[in-house]
Amino acid sequence: MKPEDPTHLWQSFQAELRDVSSKAALTRLRDRYLSRQRGLLTLQLRGLGRLAPQDRPRVGKSLNQIKGRIESALAERGRALEAEQRRAQLESERLDITLPGYLPPQGRPHPLTRVRREMEEISVRMGFSVLSGPELELDHYNFEALNMPKGHPARDMQDTLYITENLLLRTHTSPVQIRTMERQQPPIRMVVPGRVYRRDTVDATHSPMFHQMEGLVVDEGITFGDLKGTLEVFLRELFSSDLKVRFRPSYFPFVEPGAEVDIECIFCSSRVGCGVCKRTGWIEIMGAGMVHPRVFSMVGYDAERYTGFAWGMGIDRIAILKYRVRDLRLFFDNDLRFLRQF
Amino acid sequence: MKIGWRWLREYLDLQGIDSDRLSEALGMLGFPVESVEETGEGRVLELEVTTNRPDCLNHLGVAREISARFGLELGIPDLSEPSGSAVSRPRAQVSIEAPDLCPRYAARVMSGVKIGPSPDWLKRRIESVGQRPINNVVDVTNFVLYELGQPLHGFDLDRLGERRIVVRRASEGESLTTLDGVDRRLDPSMLVIADATRAVALAGIMGGMETEISGATRNLLLESAYFEPMSVRRAAKRLGMRTDASYRFERGADPDMAPKALNRACRMIQEIAGGACEGPVIDEFPRPIPAREIRLRSCRLAQVLGVPADPDFIEEVLGRLGFELEPQGDGSWRIRVPSFRADVALEDDLVEEVAREYGYDRLPTTYPAAATAGRFSESEGHKRRVSSSLESCGFYEAMNYAFTNPGREEIFLGRRTPLVPIANPLSEDHTHLRSTILPGLAESIRHNLNFGNRSVRLFETGKVFFQRGEDPEQAQEAPCLGLAATGSAHGPFWSGASEPFGFHHLKGVLQLLFRNFGFEVEYRAVARLPFLHPGVAAEIVRDERRVGLLGKLHPRLHAHYKFSQDVLVAELRLDELYGRDLQDPAYGVLSRFPSVEHDFSFLVDKSVSFAKLENAIRGLSIPELRDIRLIDLYRGSSVPKDKVGLTLRLTFADVERTLTLPEVKHLSERVFSFMRQELGVEGR
Repeated sequence: MKPEDPTHLWQSFQAELRDVSSKAALTRLRDRYLSRQRGLLTLQLRGLGRLAPQDRPRVGKSLNQIKGRIESALAERGRALEAEQRRAQLESERLDITLPGYLPPQGRPHPLTRVRREMEEISVRMGFSVLSGPELELDHYNFEALNMPKGHPARDMQDTLYITENLLLRTHTSPVQIRTMERQQPPIRMVVPGRVYRRDTVDATHSPMFHQMEGLVVDEGITFGDLKGTLEVFLRELFSSDLKVRFRPSYFPFVEPGAEVDIECIFCSSRVGCGVCKRTGWIEIMGAGMVHPRVFSMVGYDAERYTGFAWGMGIDRIAILKYRVRDLRLFFDNDLRFLRQF
Repeated sequence: MKIGWRWLREYLDLQGIDSDRLSEALGMLGFPVESVEETGEGRVLELEVTTNRPDCLNHLGVAREISARFGLELGIPDLSEPSGSAVSRPRAQVSIEAPDLCPRYAARVMSGVKIGPSPDWLKRRIESVGQRPINNVVDVTNFVLYELGQPLHGFDLDRLGERRIVVRRASEGESLTTLDGVDRRLDPSMLVIADATRAVALAGIMGGMETEISGATRNLLLESAYFEPMSVRRAAKRLGMRTDASYRFERGADPDMAPKALNRACRMIQEIAGGACEGPVIDEFPRPIPAREIRLRSCRLAQVLGVPADPDFIEEVLGRLGFELEPQGDGSWRIRVPSFRADVALEDDLVEEVAREYGYDRLPTTYPAAATAGRFSESEGHKRRVSSSLESCGFYEAMNYAFTNPGREEIFLGRRTPLVPIANPLSEDHTHLRSTILPGLAESIRHNLNFGNRSVRLFETGKVFFQRGEDPEQAQEAPCLGLAATGSAHGPFWSGASEPFGFHHLKGVLQLLFRNFGFEVEYRAVARLPFLHPGVAAEIVRDERRVGLLGKLHPRLHAHYKFSQDVLVAELRLDELYGRDLQDPAYGVLSRFPSVEHDFSFLVDKSVSFAKLENAIRGLSIPELRDIRLIDLYRGSSVPKDKVGLTLRLTFADVERTLTLPEVKHLSERVFSFMRQELGVEGR
């Protein structure tokens, strides 16, 4: 067999390599030239022995050089094919990242719960403990012990749903004050959030069921100034740190002196006037006052030694103000379009 | 209460005080101005007057408040007795048979009165406070009411039988046609003004039609009395009436004002309607009301208000408010309360008077020292755990009214349940208290479906109420959790169809909740609940006690609520869940060695419940067996009709070492051969 011209072999390899476009074809090409049994180059190398001895080193060297070139050309093309393949693979995996995400299910607390928690958290930060009491309450705790004996005109302010003559749906969370003071000696620093009921027809601003938070501080040396300071801090935490707060005289049978607490209108900057504040620049936010000495005597506290203050505010009302809800009924419709907004 | 600016100036020199400043001052004194109206009589302010201040339901009372605030002199109109004719004409007789309900009754007879329209100035005054002028005598009585706060009533004297006034309790079955033309049935709890034979007025509330002053009246008897507040209030409430008179009497009128207001009215009637006063004022006062005396101490003022008391200021403002002060030389005063201040009974009431006049805004602002750290209630921790568990499962918190009615409850529960009744319900829908949270949630689901939300998950916590026996006084309340869900379990996503939310989705939600509370329960099939599908209902049992229920709403209720998709519900007693303290989690050792999973596929009889299988395997007490999980369940054509195909994945591990393959094989074989022998399963 006549040795083929090694240069010719290299040229035919190069021509065939140009047509290779897949890894499989590349493997086939490698086998065609380098396979141990039948590779064209392998055969040439094996045929060296049949050459004239003086030709062997020259041809051998030349064949080995070509073998080296073929191997590195194959490797290079292999890497190129791999890179190409990876690129194609990644391209085929491309997503439309603008398609909407799969939202995991998520629920939320009711807006009134959200406000209640916020109010509780502020209270706890201010050193108050959160207490609770029954919704079915005795007339004694709801009225009598709060200085509202039967026939008291102030009972009209809180039209009551009765179960029996003695048992009623509490009209405020204040009975828990009495229940706590009966059990415990001063100092007292407590708040009571809870559900309360009144004999009201459902409309945009009235509800027969709503929520209140009541607060009570009793100790030696508690003054009206402490009432002002405490409620000011509380309301500023709840609304904003530079909120203006105003106290004016009012009447609740279980406090004396009694106060109504106003905050500057958060809808129109104070003093401008809008529908919510009835053009006064102020919004009524809660009732408060120094605990009435008769209330102390009902629970056996010495009114000469201890003084205290109490306040109560509507959680629903705070929610209306904070979230600017126009209609109280939305809180009890349980419409997801509403609940999802909080 | 309407207060006219021009009217006020009859008693005060308001020079230099404009109406804005006045409104502001009134508000800060405790009488907020609700609205302002321009009238022919100048500005009229609508004042809110709290129930404890009946003395400010008139112009003189409000003027007194302003005089104290601004240090102005208060001009009081002439209240002295106009002289009567000495001629002995027929006078009237007054007798009080119920002095407990009528401590004072003053009256005067006027004769020769010419009834006619009032002069224009009087009409305008009456109109400015929102009243309709009627005739000169009635308008005068109304004028005096709004000036001095004392309700007066004029009778046509010639229509009073025997010209007698008897103040007595109504007799059983007695009736009276009041001025508004309504025939009123009376009872002995009510006080009436009667003549010799019959009731002619409801004391302190409204006069009667038959003795009304008319154009033909010539002689009249003018009444000015003090009635006991409670009895007026009770009678007015029972009769469903509220008049200007009753509104004042039931809050407490001024007993000393009765004869004075009468004098004022008589003088005005003499001037405007002619007529002469006959004889002296009749003033029956069987139960004199002594003036209250209270000691006010400077130290109490400082103790409550947090500022030292200024004696000059106190004497000045309390004096202007009508209190008589007698300094005791020890930093205290003996104070005589004026008869018009029914609300002032205790020292602290005077403290409030001082604080009001001083101005709440001028009192110092301080902070009480906190001796202890604040803490949340224990139930709040529980509530938040419930809420966050359910929120993470996609449930929104709902709130429904705690009211119900027997019809609604019966339709839902499918049976009559004793409900706690409201004695005085306001609407037909809200006559009782709910015994279950679920009807409210079902209605909320319907509301959302109607508005196009097809996937809805809601939870609600709140009290439910129930009755022990027949006595509503024994009513009790308990905290409850309700859940309701419908729609898809996830999605719908654009990648494919979604699975409907079903029984096992809801069960999973509850399992997660219980796991978060470390609360072990069992689920038992229950078929006898009329509001749940009999085949898709379970009771949740702990220590052999039912603590809750879950299931698919009964098809009957699907029809009732017009649901076209399955609705799943659950209800739990939260006191059961809350009964345990929330404990800090105790850490369990993590194995450093790999666990080995082994899957079993087998057929088992349909009658064998999964719980039975699982319990049986756990009963083997293999310590290395860490987890049993159902990963597949099939009932396809390859499975005989009475069988189910299951695949269980068992996880084996040991904290001390890596389990060898033969060991795992041995353990698996133990489980499987046990199941073959005991439960009749066949391998696949």
